[in-house]
This record gives sequence, C-alpha cells and structure tokens, in this order.
Amino acid sequence: MTEEATKTRNRKKDKIPKVPNPDGIWTKEVRAEINHKAVTGQHRIRGMGVNMRYPNFDDLLVLPAQLSRLSVDTYREPCVTKTVLGTRFAKKPLEIETPIMISGMSYGALGKEAKTALAKATQIVGTSINNGEGGLLPEERDNSYKQVVQILPSRFGFSLETIEAADALEIICGIGAKPGLTGHLLGSKITEEIAEMRQIPAGLDLYSHPRHGDIFGPDDMVLKIQELRDITNYEIPIFLKIAAGRVTEDVKIAVKTGADGVVIDGCQGGTGAAPVVALKHLGIPTLPALVQATKALEDMGVKDEFSLIVSGGIKDGADVAKAMALGADAVAIGTGANIALGCTTCHQCHEGICGSGICTQEPQYRELLKCDAAERVANYITAMTNEAVILAKAAGKTRLSNLEREDIRSITLEACAMTGIPLVGTNYTFTERFGFC
Amino acid sequence: MEHLDITGKSIGETNRALRNLIADHDQVIIDNPHSSHNLGTALKGNGKVTINGSTGYFTGGFLAGPTLDILGNTGWYTGDNMSAGEIIISKNTGSNCGPSMMGGTILVRGNSGSRVGFAMKGGNLIVCGDVGRWAGYMTLGGRIIVLGEMGPVIGESMYRGIIHTADPAVEKKLGNNVSVIPISDAEKKEVSALFEKYQIDHPVNSLKSVIPLKTGRTKYTIFNPTHKVRSKND
Repeated sequence: MTEEATKTRNRKKDKIPKVPNPDGIWTKEVRAEINHKAVTGQHRIRGMGVNMRYPNFDDLLVLPAQLSRLSVDTYREPCVTKTVLGTRFAKKPLEIETPIMISGMSYGALGKEAKTALAKATQIVGTSINNGEGGLLPEERDNSYKQVVQILPSRFGFSLETIEAADALEIICGIGAKPGLTGHLLGSKITEEIAEMRQIPAGLDLYSHPRHGDIFGPDDMVLKIQELRDITNYEIPIFLKIAAGRVTEDVKIAVKTGADGVVIDGCQGGTGAAPVVALKHLGIPTLPALVQATKALEDMGVKDEFSLIVSGGIKDGADVAKAMALGADAVAIGTGANIALGCTTCHQCHEGICGSGICTQEPQYRELLKCDAAERVANYITAMTNEAVILAKAAGKTRLSNLEREDIRSITLEACAMTGIPLVGTNYTFTERFGFC
Repeated sequence: MEHLDITGKSIGETNRALRNLIADHDQVIIDNPHSSHNLGTALKGNGKVTINGSTGYFTGGFLAGPTLDILGNTGWYTGDNMSAGEIIISKNTGSNCGPSMMGGTILVRGNSGSRVGFAMKGGNLIVCGDVGRWAGYMTLGGRIIVLGEMGPVIGESMYRGIIHTADPAVEKKLGNNVSVIPISDAEKKEVSALFEKYQIDHPVNSLKSVIPLKTGRTKYTIFNPTHKVRSKND
C-alpha cells in the first residue's frame, strides 16, 4: 500500500464513530464458528456441555425455618440421606447412601483409570456408578458400590452377562447434551482394547446407532421391559433415561411402559463429543424439565411410586436440595465428578489428548490422572451431600427427601414463571398454567 | 420329551417353567403358544424347544444355547441379543429379525421384514425368502445370507460382518460404505456347510458378498443439495 493510500485509509478510519458493543451479533466466537464452517464445510464438534447460561437452580432460594416451623440442629441432629429408587415393581430396589449418583460415562470417552477412580469413589460414599456406552469395564464392576448398566441402541459390549452384573438397568432414549443424535466416539480414542470391548474396528470414527434395533416405539418398550424383568427375575429396577424435550408427554409414556423410574437429562448435561449446534440448541434446561416431569407424575397419581432422577448441570449441594424440593428423588452428576477428578473444562474431550488424564486412551496422558482421584470425587460427593443437608436442616427437615416446593422461592421472574414457585418477597406466582400452578 | 401347554399362563410363568424343563429334558414341546410375546427369553443349556404354532415379538431374546424350532411365524425382533443356540422359523418373521445378535444361528425358511440383522455383532442369520429394506444396517459382525429378493439400502454403514445375497440387483440397492464382491472360495465352503446342516437347496455360486469398505469410507452426508445450472431459456 502506498503512503498516500495509507493516509487516506487512516483519515476514513478517524471519521468512523466509535460504536458501543462493536461486535453485536458477530462476536469473536461467532466469527470463529463461521470461519470454521467456511474452511471445512462442516459443523464443529467438541466435548462437554453447553456454555450458555440457562435458567437453573441458582434462580431459586431455600426458605429457612424460623417461627412458623423449627429448624433442625446443623451439627448434632440427624438428617437422613439414604435414598431408595425403583420401588414401583422391582423386588430389590436400588439403595444408596446419598441421592447423588454418578451418571453414565463410557469407557472409551473416559480412560480406564478415570472410570476406575469413579467406581472407587462410589464405594467410599455408597452410591452408584453407571457404565455408559461401550460395555462394562471389569475394573469398574469390581470397584463399584452399586452398578447401573445402560442399555443403548448400539449395544456395544452388551450381553446377558452385563445385565446379570447390574444392580439397576437404564434404557437410554436420549441424553441431554445431544438428544436425538447418535453417539460420537472419534477414531483417535478407539484403541485396540476399546475396539475389542465395543466389537468395532479400531481407529474408525464411530457414530453409534440412532435408535434401538429392538425398540421401535413405546409399545415395543413395554415388551422390552417385560423381557428384561423376566431375565432379571423381576428383581432389579429398570429406569428410562430421557433427554429433556417434550417432558410431560415422555414421562407419561415412561410410566405406562412399566418402568420403575425415569432419568430426565437437561440440556446442560455433558458428553464426550457432540455437534456444537446440538449442545446449544437442542433440548430444554434441567430446571423446567424437572417441574414438568414432577407435574406429569402427580397428574398420573404415581409420584410416590415412580422414581424421578434428574441430571444436567448439577454442581453443588444447593442444586441437589432444590431439585429434591421440586420433586426429584435423586440427581446424577457427570461433569462435576470429572472436575473433581481434575478436569479443567477445556471442552476438548473429543480430541483424546486430555491433559488431566480423564478423557483419553493415551498411556502418557492417562498417567496424568491425579493419584488421589477417587478420594477427590468421594470428597466432592460427601461435601455436596453435606451442603444439601445444611439447607434441608435449616428448612426444618430431618430427611433430605422431605424438602418440598413450599421450602423454596424464585428470585427471577423467569424461574417463577417456569416453576410456579412464588417470587421472593411474595407468596404469589404467575397466573394459571405456568409451572406447578 | 416334555409338553408344556401355556394356555392361561403368564409369560413370566411360561419362561420360568421352560427354563426348568430345558435344564432336565433334551426336548420340550410348547403347545398353544397363541402368538405370545417374549417367549423363550434367556434360555440356557443345550436342549431343543419346539413351539407348535406362531409366536409374537421378541421370540428367543437373549437365547444362550438351546435350539428353538418354531412351527409357524414369529413377530418382530426375533432372537434379539441372542448369543448362542439356534432359532429355526418354518414360516416368516416380522421386521428387525436378529437385532444386536452376538452369536448362534437364526434360520427363516420364509420371508423376513425390514432391517434383518440390525446392529448384528456375530452369528449367522439365514433368510431363504425375501427381506425388506435396510438389511444389515450398521452391523458389527456376523453373517447374513438372503436367498430371495432384498429391499433397498443394503448394508448401510456396516462396520464389520458380511452379507451374502442371491439378489441379482444387489449393486443397485446398496447403502453407504459398502461394496459388492464375488463370494470367495473360503466363504463358499462355510456357506455350503450351513446349507448342508440346515438342508437348504441353493447353489452357492449364485451368491455375492456385500462387505464394509475398509478404506476410503464415504463421508456421512447430512446435506447434499443438487444444484442445477439454469440456462437463460429455462
């Protein structure tokens, strides 16, 4: 560029007025997305969950007991945390010592050491782990306190033996991070061992089966559950995992299929790899999904017998307490447990080069997993449980499961409208047909 | 030989009785199956169960050893998740026959519906008649043999496994990520042994093999518009 041209350009620049918020829609992230698509012609894939703020449990507050009701001594009086799930039909319901379960994360997405550490953590705190897609790792089975076995469309590594090893079964209809999409496991993470467990070729990008080959609708689900009951001698609970979408309808169908309970996975849930567009735009948040699920069960008169587990963005004991107040019998954590393991939330889980030694199959990275990883996860779950207990006791409850809608208030108009929980400073909600109203 | 009349019995009672009988007897005959669903679930051992009539959905699910000889039709999902043993159907099956099966053999003397061998991982699935669309969808292993006509989208996204077919138009009906090759001598030998065992009279030489692409797999197509260049006269 000549000197004259540079001067002309600079003069024009000086005349352009300063624009507040110059990025507008075209933020750095949006521009990066467009550039990626322009270069590759493809959508972007990454790990973990959505990083946008949706209405969540932080939009609610717990009301302390004062004169109208008595609080329970935080340090000297007990508060029961033991949780029993799947009492509807199963002869041997799932009994765990805390309502915080570890959700399904596959061996493949996670490394062997990470899966084993999570299993050991369940042994320390007395809760359950879920094997996720890709078979049941022997080290996980041997170290877990209670083992939930997922039944996924792909049936990778699935057999009669895995069912016989289960304390509960979970039939997957979808996950909150990418509902309606198939599983993604990129070839870089499929080692010979993973390939053998999943009965697939090593090194090939894997897009799992989109639907169950033996469940093509709710009527078939009824028969499938009867088949699984027959195999398990009607002993262990059978749950359905549903991504939060048309929650009211889906939960009502789940009840009619004959399951013992349902896991509602909100859109804040994480995953090993998913299209960014799905992470951001598919499904609804956990908070309103839970409200709809609870209301559906109450409408059908089965709230007391049908277990309701909620997952997706659960991070602390306050979330647990508020979820239980809204009707959940238990919660499941995934990303939170991974952060306790050492995850730095870099969102690159799909690459298979996890610097924390969690989402990787490479031996040199797996070595990086913290040596006290199991204890860290156990401590995290213990502390979360204690946090929930502190709030429950302050609200005058001697059991975590006694928390109820009367014990919380909304601090945003959004949360008030979505949940039907009165706005703080009032005992009023939005008009009829919102939330629990 | 033991007879089991399942009239008026729940499927749970039936399967429990069947498991006990097959443990002690070489052969059990089920009378009046009334097209029951979930019949013969998770049977183990080496005996033979003959079902005098047609069955409903999920027949022989999770089968792990015995032979199920069905003198009639079966519904959808026959032999789902089976790992060993045989299911021999004298007539036809509904759709999704042998989904996610890991081992053993399913033989359909008649026709089968769509999606035979959905996500199949191992074993043999033989259909003497015709099958519907999407046969061998995303298989992970095993062998499918179809002696009649096949519907479109054969072997879509197979990861492993093989489909032998006598359909002369197979090349025009393929799904993505598969190709057709002549049947090899080793495969002919294996298929002939199966035909001999199950008394199937069909020339092995007429079969072709559909196999997954080992290299150069096509990309998954989400959006593939076809643009026409418009001329001024259009």
